Amino acid sequence: MSTGSSLLALSLKGLRRDLRAGDVRALFVALVLAVAATTMIGFFLDRLDRGLTRQAGQLMGGDIKLEQSDPFGDDLRDTLRNAGLTLSDQVDTVSMVSRGDAFQLASLKVVDGAYPLYGKLRVDLGEGIIERAAGPAPGSVWIAPRLAQLLDVAIGESVQVGQRELTVSGLIDREPDQSAGFASLSPRLMMRLTDLEATGLVRPGSRIEYELLAKGTPAAVASVGELLTRLRQQGVEVEDVRDDQPQLGSALTRAQKYLSLSGLAAVLLAGVAVAMATRRYVDRHLDTAALLRCFGASQRQLAQLFAWQLAWLALAASVVGALLGLVGQAALLALLARFLPLTLPAPGMLPLLLGVLTALAVLVGFAGPNAAAAPAACQCAQVLRRELDPLPASAWLVVTVAGLVFGALLWLYSGDLGLAAALLVGGLIALVVLWGLGWLLLALVLRLATRFGARGGEASRALRLGASQLARRRQASLGQLLAFAVTFAAMAIITLVRGDLLSAWQTQLPADTPNYFAINIQPGEREGFSDILDQVADTRSALYPMVRGRLTAIDDRPAREAVPEAHRNDNALKRELNLTWRKTLPESNRLVAGRWFDTDTQVAAGSVPISVERGLAERLGVGLGDSLTFTIGSDSVTGEITSLRDLDWDSFRPNFFVIFPPGVLERYGHSYITAFHLDAGAHGDVLGRLVAAYPGVSLLNVDAILARVRELLAQVTRAVELVLGFVLLAGVSVLYAALTASQTLRAHESGLLRVFGAGQRLLSRVQGVEFALLGFTSGLMAALLAEGAALGIYAGWLDLAPRLHLWLWLVLPFGGALLIGVIGHLLSRGLRRQAPVQSLGLLGEG
Amino acid sequence: MSDIRDTYAASAATIPTLEARGLGKQVTSGERQLTILDDLDLCVMPGESVAILGSSGAGKSTLLALLAGLDTPSHGELALFGTALPALDEDGRAALRAGRVGFVFQNFQLLPTLTALENVMLPLELTPGRDHQQRARDWLGRVGLGERLDHLPKQLSGGEQQRVAVARAFVTRPELVFADEPTGNLDRDTGSAIIESLFALNREAGTTLVLVTHDPHLARRCQRCLRLDGGRLVALEPDEVQA
Ligand SMILES: Nc1ncnc2c1ncn2[C@@H]1O[C@H](COP(=O)(O)OP(=O)(O)OP(=O)(O)O)[C@@H](O)[C@H]1O
Ligand SMILES: [Mg+2]
Repeated sequence: MSTGSSLLALSLKGLRRDLRAGDVRALFVALVLAVAATTMIGFFLDRLDRGLTRQAGQLMGGDIKLEQSDPFGDDLRDTLRNAGLTLSDQVDTVSMVSRGDAFQLASLKVVDGAYPLYGKLRVDLGEGIIERAAGPAPGSVWIAPRLAQLLDVAIGESVQVGQRELTVSGLIDREPDQSAGFASLSPRLMMRLTDLEATGLVRPGSRIEYELLAKGTPAAVASVGELLTRLRQQGVEVEDVRDDQPQLGSALTRAQKYLSLSGLAAVLLAGVAVAMATRRYVDRHLDTAALLRCFGASQRQLAQLFAWQLAWLALAASVVGALLGLVGQAALLALLARFLPLTLPAPGMLPLLLGVLTALAVLVGFAGPNAAAAPAACQCAQVLRRELDPLPASAWLVVTVAGLVFGALLWLYSGDLGLAAALLVGGLIALVVLWGLGWLLLALVLRLATRFGARGGEASRALRLGASQLARRRQASLGQLLAFAVTFAAMAIITLVRGDLLSAWQTQLPADTPNYFAINIQPGEREGFSDILDQVADTRSALYPMVRGRLTAIDDRPAREAVPEAHRNDNALKRELNLTWRKTLPESNRLVAGRWFDTDTQVAAGSVPISVERGLAERLGVGLGDSLTFTIGSDSVTGEITSLRDLDWDSFRPNFFVIFPPGVLERYGHSYITAFHLDAGAHGDVLGRLVAAYPGVSLLNVDAILARVRELLAQVTRAVELVLGFVLLAGVSVLYAALTASQTLRAHESGLLRVFGAGQRLLSRVQGVEFALLGFTSGLMAALLAEGAALGIYAGWLDLAPRLHLWLWLVLPFGGALLIGVIGHLLSRGLRRQAPVQSLGLLGEG
Repeated sequence: MSDIRDTYAASAATIPTLEARGLGKQVTSGERQLTILDDLDLCVMPGESVAILGSSGAGKSTLLALLAGLDTPSHGELALFGTALPALDEDGRAALRAGRVGFVFQNFQLLPTLTALENVMLPLELTPGRDHQQRARDWLGRVGLGERLDHLPKQLSGGEQQRVAVARAFVTRPELVFADEPTGNLDRDTGSAIIESLFALNREAGTTLVLVTHDPHLARRCQRCLRLDGGRLVALEPDEVQA
């Protein structure tokens, strides 16, 4: 056993022998479970994440959208294509469209053959609405039903676009990429790029926007990041799929955070399972180590031997687990196709690697230090009397190494070092608190059991015996309590957050969410417009005055120089901002710093207080007390930031980055904006009246966007449910694994009680009491843990209002008692039937 | 079975604590059938002390487990306290043992997670009563472990563990004690002390003792010595017993 290869052979032999032992099988199963769960959830998350991103991409028209007022050059196209991106050209403009005497302004969307990069159009080609993955054929156009109505044109007839006559071949019901650009104010006409030149619309001075849309893998998109930055600097408007989707923003980020939270929970559960199984494995290996040491093995040889054995075990479990994960993922696909109408991209290899890595890390983290420390600590004399345990030094080593490994995994899964560190420290503190609490609870149980169980019949004897058995098993029970508490808490948190997320999403877009925006309402029209809205709309936002101004200076320095380098190209610096004034804080805005302006006194005193949206303030690198100067027309106004606000971008109401107090902006030219909701039935009639009475007011319908967002939320909801199912399943498997691991000890106990004369009924009651108490106590601890963790997660991460969940304190203890009771009962049914010789192993393997 | 009982009823007018006739135990390991016990007869009267000797692997532990109803014989008749064991189910056998039978295992079978005191208390806790702890303490004191109450088995030496096992077997004041090499790990003095308490109980409370031992010192103290050989029991005269 001196050479490396014979050590290898010995370790392999050891593994083979090991697999005969129950504890190694338990460890093996736990590892397989861990790998399978993490790969499967990893796969799922990966694909779902990419699917959701693709949805957002669909809303935007592509993963990347470039926009400028000149055609894009071929060099750029080549570069993008070489990066693996698929391109689509699009031209947007507004033009008069006519048929006979009827004229109507239409917003033109000129597309190429690659359109749409994502999703499908819903269009009526004369035989009802169908889905098409392409735009109109050359020579023909598709138009919005409203335009058809206004021009009195039917399918098959033709319209005049510029100098070209084109046939109307379809009526557009919905475009996959309907963004809220103001161009869509006028009804849509979609045509082919090949017909554009003949229309003669492309002339110097005409307002035309050229768009280049690109679709590709996240890697491909990432690979052109630098190019995009350069383009931004050249004045090209660049949209990346993750930016600039405010309507989806918070819902999507929350959903993604939820999914990664679930991934974390799965890893945590896997860790618990492995930790539970490792203990006995390590215990037994201490004996072997001691024996080998007595036979003359050196410390180094022992350390190497165990390292090899662990490696073999991890390798074998990884392969089996990864295969299971792959199979599970394929099964998942079938499920997904039914529940989740997203077209998901093919699985990446990363999750597979991640799963295997996770298992290895968890195994090394939990079992490694013990196995490594064992030979060093063991000396023959101690060994044979088994005085090794507990090894204080190695216990700390285990916690440290396992903690570090787990922290690294947290980091890997959340991609946020600060968060990972906070979670780790929080987790360690929680563990210590729970340990202490568990210790106290067990002591209490023991006390009560010895005090009150003495008299009475068999039932109370069972109660006393079960309780004291549990409490006396000290370390083992404490370990199980912690494991179960963590498991229950993980299951509870994932369930809790799901419920709160879903209700947040439901309240986010109620049925009467504004579906129309009205802009350009003149001050003189304000009263009248508002009166009509009061009559016809079931909800409407306030009318906000709107003044357009450009941010030119921050604290008296030119704005471009004052902001952090990374944000020099922020849209807020390039475009005019919409400014408003208001006495009170707008609906669905939240003050996060400073104070809302209370009186006009500040204005009178010469300094103008302003309120700024937090995100903008962060990008501009400004805070309370800084001053912003806006150029409005030929004038300039300076305000000092006195408050920061959070906005609900998904509220579908007018939102403003900067709000002034009344009395400052009134003298500049302004118009009003509002949002309101009209029932589907009322549309045509009411809109007709509004348009007739206020021809200058532009109405923008966001029904399509709303529908998209709702659909997306529904899909995300289903995804969340599925993931929840996984986590719950993983949790139950952990319970099962942990109870299986403790089975040998229980077998021993029940065998002895049998020898002393206990009947099956008593045994079953004793064990029932034990399991129920274990479940109840760990449920109680889990409620505490879950409540604390949820508080932190809500406030610190998901940006949801924290709340208490009183029902947790009932459901977890009683549910825990029931769950552990049932699993435990099922597991130990066989034990109670066995003759003592078998359960005690009096003869045989002993 | 009834004829055995008649025989003894005639001679002693008491029900034997233990009687076996034609008792056999076979096990199959792999393809081979192994006969451990073969057509064995035994009768132990209340208050008797019996030593069973035999070479290693002779089947002594197997016999003890069978007699205590911890295992089922392949064939033969067996009665404990006058009740036929093979007719009972696992529960019935356990109920028969409860509070009446003590057992010292050859490998002690202490629960590793319980302290010495808790291990000894365990059988008491199956019965009603409140002075469990005191009784367990007393017994641990009698086997010389009064100072080691809170130690876990792994913190005790082999002999100390054995003494805990002995205390656990006696703590319920059973009518019958089976002990598989109760002094096997003990030095002569400690062994003698244990033997003294065994026989004190035998004298005072009339406890029946069935002991497996290699220790001639212990064997000679018993009223009867039997040797297990070839699956059967053969009576030995006390002076045939040697170290
Ligand atoms: N379930 C079983 N399967 C296979 N062999 C068994 C089984 N039970 C007992 N044996 C065998 O029966 C024989 C008797 O075992 P037992 O433990 O009764 O011997 P013993 O007389 O107590 O020996 P020792 O003095 O060494 O304790 C042994 O050879 C043992 O291997
Ligand atoms: Mg034996």
